[in-house]
Amino acid sequence: MRNNYLVRVLTRATARTLQPVRSLCSAPTAADVELKNVTKSNFEPTLAELRRHVREADFVSIDLEMTGITSAPWREIFEFDRPDIQYLKVKDSAQKFAVLQFGVCPFRWDQHSTSFVAHPHNFYVFPRQEIAGDASSYEFLCQTSSLEFLAKYQFDFNTCINEGTSYLSRSQEEEALKCLESVHKDEVLDVSSNLRNDLDMQLVRMADILFAERMKNVVGEWRAGLLRGGSWGSESQGSLNDVNQKFQTTFFQARPALAVNGLTSRQLKLIKLVTEKHFSDLAYVHVTGESSSRLPLIVYTDSAKDRDILKGEVKACQRKAAEISIKSAIGFRHVIDLLSSERKLIVGHNCFLDLAHVYSKFIGPLPSTAEEFVSAVQTYFPSIIDTKVLLNSDDVLSHIMNKSSTALSNAFNLLCLPPVTPTGTNNGLADIPRVKVDVQVDDQRFSNWNSGAKHEAGYDAFMTGCVFSEACFRLGIDFNPHVPGLVLQHNEKLQKYTNYLYLSWANGDIIDLKTGKSGPDTLGSAIGRRRCWLAKFTFSSMILLWGLPTKLKAKDIRECFYKAFGSGSITSVHHLDETAAFVQFSRAELVSDFLELKDRLERDNNNPMSVVHPLSRILETGCVRAATYETYKEVCLSPLSEVLFTDQAERLGIKGEARLVQSSVDVDGEGDCEGGEITLPTFRELQQSSASVRTSNFQTDRIMDSLRRSAAQ
Amino acid sequence: MYLRRYFCSQTAAGHRRRYERPVKQVIKSNFSETLAEIKESIFSSDFVAVSLQKTGGYSAPWQKCLPIDTEETAYLKAKRAAERFQILQFSVCPFSVKASKLIANPYNFQLFPRHEVKVGMPSYSFSCQSSSLTSMALEGFDFNACIYNGISYMSRAQETAAKVQTGSVLLNGGSLLSTSAFSVADVIFSERIKTRVKNWMNGCNNQHKTEDYLISSLRKLVERCENYGSRPSLTIDVCSERQVQLTSEALKEFVNIVLVRPPAKTGVEAIQVVLTSSEEDKNLLVKEIQDLEDEQRRLVSGFREVIDLISTSQRPVVVHNSLNDFTFVHSKFLAPLPPTTNEFASSLLSVFPHILDVNHLMKELGLFNKMNNLSSAISYLNRRFSASMDMEVSYEAEVTDCVNVHGHSVMKVCQLFVNLCSILKISLEIPEGGHTQLPALLQRSSNIFCSSDVRDPYNDDVRIWTGKSRTVSLKNLVFLWGFRKGMSTQDLKDALCNSHDVFSEEFDVKMVDRACAIVVFWTPGFSKKFLGIMDSGELFSSKLENMVFEGLKAADYETYGRVCNSAMWKPDLAECLAQATDETEVFSGAKTQQEQSVICWNNDEMINLDEL
Repeated sequence: MRNNYLVRVLTRATARTLQPVRSLCSAPTAADVELKNVTKSNFEPTLAELRRHVREADFVSIDLEMTGITSAPWREIFEFDRPDIQYLKVKDSAQKFAVLQFGVCPFRWDQHSTSFVAHPHNFYVFPRQEIAGDASSYEFLCQTSSLEFLAKYQFDFNTCINEGTSYLSRSQEEEALKCLESVHKDEVLDVSSNLRNDLDMQLVRMADILFAERMKNVVGEWRAGLLRGGSWGSESQGSLNDVNQKFQTTFFQARPALAVNGLTSRQLKLIKLVTEKHFSDLAYVHVTGESSSRLPLIVYTDSAKDRDILKGEVKACQRKAAEISIKSAIGFRHVIDLLSSERKLIVGHNCFLDLAHVYSKFIGPLPSTAEEFVSAVQTYFPSIIDTKVLLNSDDVLSHIMNKSSTALSNAFNLLCLPPVTPTGTNNGLADIPRVKVDVQVDDQRFSNWNSGAKHEAGYDAFMTGCVFSEACFRLGIDFNPHVPGLVLQHNEKLQKYTNYLYLSWANGDIIDLKTGKSGPDTLGSAIGRRRCWLAKFTFSSMILLWGLPTKLKAKDIRECFYKAFGSGSITSVHHLDETAAFVQFSRAELVSDFLELKDRLERDNNNPMSVVHPLSRILETGCVRAATYETYKEVCLSPLSEVLFTDQAERLGIKGEARLVQSSVDVDGEGDCEGGEITLPTFRELQQSSASVRTSNFQTDRIMDSLRRSAAQ
Repeated sequence: MYLRRYFCSQTAAGHRRRYERPVKQVIKSNFSETLAEIKESIFSSDFVAVSLQKTGGYSAPWQKCLPIDTEETAYLKAKRAAERFQILQFSVCPFSVKASKLIANPYNFQLFPRHEVKVGMPSYSFSCQSSSLTSMALEGFDFNACIYNGISYMSRAQETAAKVQTGSVLLNGGSLLSTSAFSVADVIFSERIKTRVKNWMNGCNNQHKTEDYLISSLRKLVERCENYGSRPSLTIDVCSERQVQLTSEALKEFVNIVLVRPPAKTGVEAIQVVLTSSEEDKNLLVKEIQDLEDEQRRLVSGFREVIDLISTSQRPVVVHNSLNDFTFVHSKFLAPLPPTTNEFASSLLSVFPHILDVNHLMKELGLFNKMNNLSSAISYLNRRFSASMDMEVSYEAEVTDCVNVHGHSVMKVCQLFVNLCSILKISLEIPEGGHTQLPALLQRSSNIFCSSDVRDPYNDDVRIWTGKSRTVSLKNLVFLWGFRKGMSTQDLKDALCNSHDVFSEEFDVKMVDRACAIVVFWTPGFSKKFLGIMDSGELFSSKLENMVFEGLKAADYETYGRVCNSAMWKPDLAECLAQATDETEVFSGAKTQQEQSVICWNNDEMINLDEL
């Protein structure tokens, strides 16, 4: 889902230019071999095969395609987002959007051919509801631009929706089993009370009484026919069929039974009532038919004891069937369980969001804090390496990348493909030894494989694995193991990059999965160290403004604040979206000054002094709200996602703060007496300020207008 | 006669076959050509049936329109669905009835809210229910075609907000300036423009005179002469809307020129003056530019053109579930949905003056209001009323290219409507030119929004309700939750029965969702009494006390109204009600509607005698 369209096009171009070279090699032509696509129909056999591959693998790379990334523009991750906010945004994304494709690619080092063998798998996943339950968890959001992006790469939505493998998370499975358990228990307990209820059910209406009487006759006739013995088959069945096509004699568990078809549930209830009331040797049961629909049966039993035995059997049967259907609904989660139980090294590219999706789709609801989340992730996946972190943090690798983009396909081109050189010239670059990666698709092995024409999760996972293996090679890691399979996981050189992920690439914060600590990149690379918010943002002296006039630019806001509080009073302005912005004050006490002033200006907004105040340009709409950073967190916590931040805050009923709670100012304020009293500007000052803003026409008009009005009054 | 009878007996089998006739599938590539076609089709027919395929209906059982909903809460539920979900296919079928024959031209438009003009428009994101998508897939819906090639659109409100102008626009000479407002500067500006244009025109007219190439090109540079197509043009820079008006005012006296506003680049504005050779030539140019304008508009408004066509045609719109479908239409193609149902109705009716709801006609027939499945309703009608009229579908030519056919729902709406009308003895044969007048019977039943729900037939005890519903005042309704999980209606009623004095008289219980029930007290005042008891916590009977101890809670209908009005909808109604009772101040903005305080209550599960 990364926006690397251009790069992708380049990949394709390179691939095409490589074609003749490849055909010279005697290896089988791999270019036209499709990715291993896995859908409902071939899921089971593929899973069995994948188990073997994962068990033998040195590492497994993964990649996901989703229906979207952000549920609203302001939900994108910004550089001024604190780590906790970043997690909330990732959480929101993982909860709302669906995974459509899951790429899994086990890599195994083959000592004989001294090459990696990769098995790329492309799973189509779709959250189809297979078992009854809370339907709301089968609703997901689609971001229009993301779907368009997928469409651009010819993503096959039909296959996904028709054929995609469904899944059940661990907690969903638990819930379903628990529900089944309690229903079963209730049924056992309630046998007597249910009976009573049903007997109590009164036959008030004529139609009910008529129907019940008729059913009594029909069932009685059938039973009499049975008891007469032998002849019941032809005679009574015939008469029944004449009366109604809805009854059929069959056998159930070696007992004669009457199957009832095509009646409403009310009618069935009455039949049940009649059967239980009038025939002690008949049992009314529902059995699960072949077509998995519940088939109502009236079964003849020898005695009351036999009847209870039968009922018990049916119950057990039903329960078993329900359990089986829950087990079979697990679907794609078996793959996740496999990765988790084999405890292999997982490799992803910028994969924090991917992991959040994996957790929320296949394990359970996401925890409320990043610390809890990562520690939970560690219990399922003990070692994870992010190739993006690796490429940016390691000095050797970042030197090779030479400041070019670390987007996946770019890294793949740079590291794993021989550079395209004009024919005839050889600058030596092509001779750099590289890790050989063979691809195996359905028992066919290719030494040069490229299906990169598509933006598919399986291919992206393959590229991630290639980048990782090449990176390891450049770091001088020896793949020939003393203990097979464990070499990479415990390699010293990799250790310092294991379990570090970018919380978000946008501001370069890295989270340590082992400790849950997050912060700026501290892994040692020069590039990493450059990105650092600590120096830039002091969250306690930031103020969030929303309800702003949409045409207001950051520059305009800064100017207004300079005029009101002096130049240098604010250090930066960051737009959240067109209606909301963050203002970073240079001193914490200015926050409360501003809130007080804003409050005063708004209280007497007919006063010409308020109208010409420099801040009035910001407050012009009359519904500008201001609040501290914590309010921002509150807004991010909400499950709602309005497109505009202002609408969001309004729907949540957040009114903003009239003034700061004193204690929070004291924490970092030095108690500057300056902030005590702010006087409204005098008329002389106003004239000066109006002269200074004459450049902007409307402001002058407004001032003159209001002055005229107040003079008239 | 024989043929007629043959058809009657064959209806059940015949329908399936008849549906397999092609419906024209419309995507981006054949949209423009279809637009002209459908325009003609709409204007030549008497009715337009529409039907939508959406990505979802409701997120939780209580969020669909239930019989317990008032007009207001039903609207709020429909509004929420319309705001969350997306239309993927919009079927339009202009039809008329001539000589007992249905003449219909069905079209299926594939829609996708592509960002054609501006990111975030028409929609940033939308919700999908996997069950809806799966059932669409089962019907053979082609999602690839829809997402790759679906037609985009913009609502009227969005188009205004985006103020898109990407092509040249003809400048109308309409003067908005009163002459008294002319200042000296204005006069100077006007005069200067006039002189400049005069000189330029003279220059153009004298072009045949021998002039050095270099000089002519220099002159072009100096005078900013360009060509607009094959015609000479002059560009005049302006810096305000007023100057634009002044220019058009000043140049009125020149007959053979056309003023064009080129697409505005940032900041700098200009007017192009195009010289035409004659009146004829001028008209030609004007038409040319207008066509271009139309084309441009079509690109921006996309599928909304069809909506606009239906609206301007003023044809009655036939729909199966008007509230659900028209909240979608309003929010996607007109403007964001207003907060109340009255505003919605007036806003919608200003665009579509006649809306005919098939569901409502079924009620009119005194039949049932629960049969919302189109196919089952049709087959039911055919079973009960053999008078079903035969349907002959006629198509415009060239249908051969649409092989892949699915989505006949709009044809079913047509058929159901026509059948119902023939049963109700409403003549649909509208005389030529009589489009403003609906048949009297239809007039009566138009524009009534049914809030009946789409019920899952498998959860319903009895599919057909006799439609005799008792009305119950909202004051007598109480929502209950917090009882033991998995309790059935009967269990709950038994548990409540005689648990307290208030339950000694007649009352009814109905489950709203898994964990929430509604209780109807048929004795006035008892609901208030019950709520009072629940509030105060005083002296219960031991039975009720036990239930309260286990967590039984109660709320009045007003609380439910507040829940529907709030932003936070959770899957369980019980949770929402609990939240609403806890923090009443948050919902202080919600106003309760007093005038609409009666709903219909279907209290009995009944079996129809014919079903025996």
